[in-house]
Amino acid sequence: MADAEADSAAGLESLFDNVDSDNDRLRRYAVDDLVPGRAVRATAVEDVERLQSLATEHNLSVIAHGGRTMLDLGMPPRRYDLALDLSGLDQVVDYEPNDFTITVQAGMTLAELQRHLATNGQFLPLDHSHFERATLGGICAVGRGGLRRNSFGGPRDWLIGMRMVKADGTAIKGGGKVVKNVSGYDLPKLFAGSLGTLGVIVEVTLKLRPQPASDQIVALNAPSFESALAAARAAARAAPFLNGCVALSAEAAANAHDLGARLLHDQPAILLRANGLETAASEVLAQALRAVREAGLDGPERTTSAIVETWQAVADLELQTREACVRLRLGLPPANLPRAQRLLSDFLPEATSWIAAADSGLMFVDVPSVDADTVKTLRTRLGPLQGRLTIESGPLELKRAVDVWGPAGPGARLMHNVKEQFDPLGILNPGRYVDGI
Amino acid sequence: MNVPSPLVRDLIDAIGEEAVVWHDDDLLVYEYDGTIDRGNPDVIALPANTDDVVNLIKIANKHDAPVTPRGAGTGLSGGALAARGGVIIGMNRMRRILNIDPENKTALVQPGVVNLDLGSEAERHGLAYAPDPSSQRACTIGGNVAENAGGPHTLAWGTTTNHVLALELVTADGEVQWIGHDTRDEPGYDLVGCVVGSEGTVGIVTQALVRLVPRPTAVRTMLAIYDSVRQASNAVSAVVASGIVPAALEMIDKMTIAAVEPVLNTGFPLDAEAVLLVEVDGPESQVEAEGARVEGILNRFEPREVRSATDPEEREHLWAGRKGAIGALGQIMPNYYLLDGVVPRTQLPDVLDGVYEIAERYRLPVANMFHAGDGNLHPCLLFDEREPGATERVLDAGGEIMRLCVDAGGAITGEHGVGLEKRDYLPWIFTEADMDAMKSLRAAFGPTENFNPCKIFPKGHGCGEAGHQHAQQQIARFGPKAFV
Repeated sequence: MADAEADSAAGLESLFDNVDSDNDRLRRYAVDDLVPGRAVRATAVEDVERLQSLATEHNLSVIAHGGRTMLDLGMPPRRYDLALDLSGLDQVVDYEPNDFTITVQAGMTLAELQRHLATNGQFLPLDHSHFERATLGGICAVGRGGLRRNSFGGPRDWLIGMRMVKADGTAIKGGGKVVKNVSGYDLPKLFAGSLGTLGVIVEVTLKLRPQPASDQIVALNAPSFESALAAARAAARAAPFLNGCVALSAEAAANAHDLGARLLHDQPAILLRANGLETAASEVLAQALRAVREAGLDGPERTTSAIVETWQAVADLELQTREACVRLRLGLPPANLPRAQRLLSDFLPEATSWIAAADSGLMFVDVPSVDADTVKTLRTRLGPLQGRLTIESGPLELKRAVDVWGPAGPGARLMHNVKEQFDPLGILNPGRYVDGI
Repeated sequence: MNVPSPLVRDLIDAIGEEAVVWHDDDLLVYEYDGTIDRGNPDVIALPANTDDVVNLIKIANKHDAPVTPRGAGTGLSGGALAARGGVIIGMNRMRRILNIDPENKTALVQPGVVNLDLGSEAERHGLAYAPDPSSQRACTIGGNVAENAGGPHTLAWGTTTNHVLALELVTADGEVQWIGHDTRDEPGYDLVGCVVGSEGTVGIVTQALVRLVPRPTAVRTMLAIYDSVRQASNAVSAVVASGIVPAALEMIDKMTIAAVEPVLNTGFPLDAEAVLLVEVDGPESQVEAEGARVEGILNRFEPREVRSATDPEEREHLWAGRKGAIGALGQIMPNYYLLDGVVPRTQLPDVLDGVYEIAERYRLPVANMFHAGDGNLHPCLLFDEREPGATERVLDAGGEIMRLCVDAGGAITGEHGVGLEKRDYLPWIFTEADMDAMKSLRAAFGPTENFNPCKIFPKGHGCGEAGHQHAQQQIARFGPKAFV
């Protein structure tokens, strides 16, 4: 690899103005302690095309970077020659508010996008942690719905078009700029959630929504996380039109408080959100609260006008990882949440922070440490509950001892075929994805 | 054919005589779908379960016979036609709803389940299956998955792809696998997202796990009659700009009114130019407030009349003119050619003007009905195929209308699929590189040379290029590339 690197360095430097080879600065691009040989900051789509064709020519591995908020996700890379920084591709390409669609470059942050849309009373309905830093390209590459995915879905559900650069530097696109489109295969869906292993996302077109006339939030304390979860499940059942329905453990609530959710204190709690026209949002919340009362929570209801800040603080907890901590993510049918929670707490008595979206079956658990065997056992035990357990972040030793994604499902054969078709040399994010892809 | 071919004999051995259709007369009904194109299958096989499907595909592969999956045959792009003959695998016998899970709001169904039957079953649990194509009384979930079917109510809820969680898929090489997961938490590529809308070209879906949504507790349908399409279009823009996301936002034009009124007694004045349908649903208080606001907006654009209903029967009456539109067109002309253009919503009024202009130039009556909320227009060119040259004129005009949509920043199909019908036009919106990437996705699902051949992508061995000369003419005229 060293030879190839030396060969290509000259090529890189003659092609790009902004090639970084300074070791200290390159550390910013480290993935699982692996530092790339060079970093290139793209300022045009053509930069990405040239870089990829060079990388293909010299068999150099590339990891694309957006806001670097989710770099802990995935297995340690098998190799890592070049960092491709897309944060300079941050422009709005096309925006006609009355079409309720927008096309932006991949490096634009979610926060910047939302600010842009807010001037027209619109928004992109996606929850994502660290939205000041997270970019649309990164969010789509990770491809996950957030705490409100029950009503919002995930990036896949809002993506209507995408431009990508293939591993060999060929520019391609899929979808278009219309909200309903079945012309050709849905390549945007293939790339959403592919973690940069099939190509580099350089531009996305998204569907938008009008901002709701009214947005309301309410928090209630609970004696324990278990009772908070039970009450949140009851609320989700009784009020299916809730926009958000989250249960938090005492530590999660305290952390959220520190991040700006003043509504929460250091006690287990539930957080409910409803929106729409004012009377309707109030009605949905009232419906949910009746169920919460029946489930036994009798504390005072607290509310705030700082809805966005409160919710974002909770969403940011998804990434609030501390040193010497393992963050687990569990996804499963929502009715199975309480059983899964009991199972996890049996195996992980030291778990501290718990957050669950009770309406969509998503749960995040922090534990000071966990060994590979426990993770494997948990996965087996969660199988009958349709639970999928991933290690979101954790020490390198753990990542080396157990697959963070879990065993590949029956679709693995097809996934390897897809990878082989799009990146036959295996130069994009090698080894970080599912089943060694 | 009176003597079964070796292929037919093998198929009969595998699934029984009663499940294999091979006499010429019986094959006739499988020669067409809802389009102008025709295909001639050699044999139809009707599997009862996933194992049957695997066996059938393997037998077809052994005989080197093309395989084409088929649901109810209501498709509108020729996707279920046996373009190169061979075996049609009809999924109609696999029509059981296997499970409804009201707690987790999912349903597990076989592909032959009729869309409306799933909706009715979900309703018993206070839930709904959101995609509702106009053919929902006949079309099947398998076909909906293949085409990524939409419908009037997808404005608020999205299309089929937003509602399919997991699939059991038999690929072209006869391998079975489950892809996806109950809550989309299976790590890895979104294979379900790739299969939905792939028009039955990468495999046959044998089970589908779909998402159900809470059934709205209240629904209000409003109908407004306008003196010009522009007025109605402006009303649409105003509704959308108001921040309300209606459950449906539909329009029909004068020609459609002329067709439906005598048959369905909708009470539409025959000299009105446009009828707009708006539906809001959700919790009762929301529907009440939104309904009042929408009605206020509709009234701002000088309608002749605004009607409103919340009662199911009355609402059904308001919908009758839209839902029965296609059927009623037979009153005017014996044949129709239904297009499926899609444009950015703000382009709709201009594109409609263009559609009328093209239809007039080709001397073809045109009826327009469309999903105004999401820019999906369905111009319906009316003709009599017995009149010499009429079919050619229709196909030429259709190509020109598609081009109009592409030039307005749209696409050639919003919900009907590319299929056999529109494949020659795909290069208007995608480059060779784009299409190569799509083909490489197809290749990942196995050798597909013989699997539902001649669909989506232009060209292909033995696909009867001659039959597509009209498309070729239009492409020659406008040049091959446009790109949105």
